[in-house]
Amino acid sequence: MFDNEVMSEPYQAGTAPARGVITRAGAAVLARTTLQAAFQAPLTTQARRNVLYCLISMPLGLATFMIVVVLLPAGLLISGSVLGTVVGLMMLVLNQRLARRFGGWHRRLADRFLNARVMPPTPFRRPAGSVIVRLDARLRDGTGWRATGYLLLKLPVLTLQYFALGFWACGLYDLGFPLWWLLFRNHPAATTLRPLPTATPPPFNSVLHISTWAATLWAALFGVALLLAAPWLTRGAVAVDRWLIRSLLGPGTLAQRVRDLELARSRAVDDSAALLRQVERDLHDGAQVRLAAMAMNLGMAKEKLGHQGVPDDIGRIRELVDAAHLNAKEALVELRELVRGIHPPVLDTGLGEALATLAAGSAIPVTVSAEVTERPSPAIETIAYFCAAELLTNAIKYSQANKIDIAAALADGDRGQTLRLQVSDDGIGGADPEGGSGLAGLRRRVGTVDGDLRVDSPPGGPTEIVVELPMTA
Amino acid sequence: MRVVIAEDAVVLREGLTRLLDDHGHQVCAAVADGDALVTAVAEQKPDVAVVDIRMPPTHTDEGLRAALQIRQDHRDVGVLMFSQYVETRYASRLLAGNAAGVGYLLKDRVADVADFVAALERVADGGTALDPEVVSQLFRASRRTEGLNTLTRRERDVLGLMAEGRSNAGISAALFISGGAVEKHVASIFGKLGLPPSEGDNRRVLAVLRYLGTGE
Repeated sequence: MFDNEVMSEPYQAGTAPARGVITRAGAAVLARTTLQAAFQAPLTTQARRNVLYCLISMPLGLATFMIVVVLLPAGLLISGSVLGTVVGLMMLVLNQRLARRFGGWHRRLADRFLNARVMPPTPFRRPAGSVIVRLDARLRDGTGWRATGYLLLKLPVLTLQYFALGFWACGLYDLGFPLWWLLFRNHPAATTLRPLPTATPPPFNSVLHISTWAATLWAALFGVALLLAAPWLTRGAVAVDRWLIRSLLGPGTLAQRVRDLELARSRAVDDSAALLRQVERDLHDGAQVRLAAMAMNLGMAKEKLGHQGVPDDIGRIRELVDAAHLNAKEALVELRELVRGIHPPVLDTGLGEALATLAAGSAIPVTVSAEVTERPSPAIETIAYFCAAELLTNAIKYSQANKIDIAAALADGDRGQTLRLQVSDDGIGGADPEGGSGLAGLRRRVGTVDGDLRVDSPPGGPTEIVVELPMTA
Repeated sequence: MRVVIAEDAVVLREGLTRLLDDHGHQVCAAVADGDALVTAVAEQKPDVAVVDIRMPPTHTDEGLRAALQIRQDHRDVGVLMFSQYVETRYASRLLAGNAAGVGYLLKDRVADVADFVAALERVADGGTALDPEVVSQLFRASRRTEGLNTLTRRERDVLGLMAEGRSNAGISAALFISGGAVEKHVASIFGKLGLPPSEGDNRRVLAVLRYLGTGE
């Protein structure tokens, strides 16, 4: 809009403008746009979102600060003593867990209101092993400590945000001063009124005292000034917060990221080696056995048939050929299942089609909704498909559900577009991703591509499992 | 011939039992893992054991380990390894020191029922039956290729069949040549490789295997 004015003005003059004219006109335009921007700043969406963010983040930040500021020193102190070590360590572990969770809340809040797209830190991976090993991993979990740092530093930031909000509140109040005066101070003319102070944002003291209606205009002007300053203050306070969130609630330093990637890579390699071994095992114990048995049956039948003449044991030969036939069919079935286990051909036509095929074979009614307008990379589709297959199998086996829903859709996550697969059922719940179940394996596989698997399955149900995958591996 | 079978795939175990029954042999035990095999052999004192290499619980080499133990504890019991793949290391360990009463066949060979039964009988009698695949891998793995290079193609065929455990008659039938021609080839092979000439089937195999570097 402003660009247009800048462009059109010299041409409306009808002449090729001289150099000085441009400068003067430009300065005028600049001044006007600056003023306009300054007066519009309190009214922008961004300002509103910043204020909303501050309003929500203040109570949240205060609450999480209180929890951490109690847990952390208490945990440290108690674990330092001889008797309280266990309790202290438990408090520190609790602090670590809570800090991660609280950090997640703050991060999502910032994502929602500040458009601060901060990638979530890699989820805590509970190592297999004794309590000591797990404890050690928790205590060395850098993400947890950084989140703790954020929650503590949040207090000074909150103070800043509090002052900024003060400007807004006082500004609005003072702007309405003439109105308040008319509403509440319409006393008879002879009444002597105590001067009324204008609202002044902390940490300043009120300097302006209003005793007549005419003077309320000064208060209103003061309010306008406060309101003009408020958006810049909020912006500053929020910027500090955003910077802290970026550096403390994100995925961490480059080194951390490298470590995570190394872990993911080794998992991916292990995963594919395990898959190959499984394929070998399936072939060895399945189709190969069937074919060997078939060859044996046919060999025996051939021997009984002899080279010429009518065989004397035709019944036995028939039996052997029957057995060979059966083995051949079994071998075909096993090979087909194996092939589908490696890569389901229907997946080539798209995830939606593959999921529908999957659902068609289920004993429990399954509804499938797939709104995947843009195809993820083949590796991602394959992982999504196998997750759906495994989750469906689990639901059928354990959930006692009456119906199962599978939904695949594209979603806007913290890291751009993601594929979101959701499998839910109305069964008995109690699915545990931490146990040695297939869920842990799935989470591992999903983790190889930086995906995430979340389980919500309270005892008694219902169960909802969400798998989030990046669009490319 | 009394046979013990160790094979974890039911369909093969039952098929083998039936096959041997049909050929007039007695299957005195059919088991599904290594420990059961060792026990069954100790109890039944069979002439020969047919042993799958991969069996529960670990599905790796329990069959081989059971077979080695049987070779150690019951010298008169023949052992025929029966597997879906050839592992030269396994064959070498089994043949180490003594090739008498040892066999190693791919499961594919059961398709030629008569050959399979003949090989099993040979092992039961203290002879040898190596799968052509095993022999060719041993050939390939052999470090003494110089000597092998001096053999004619026909002589190499004969050598392979000798290593499988065939007699001169068996070799002449397999290659469609006369018994005299086989004798001539065998003598030539022994001469070129510097092996001591011998008459018994098993000693011939032993000589060949020693040459190939697995007999020690």
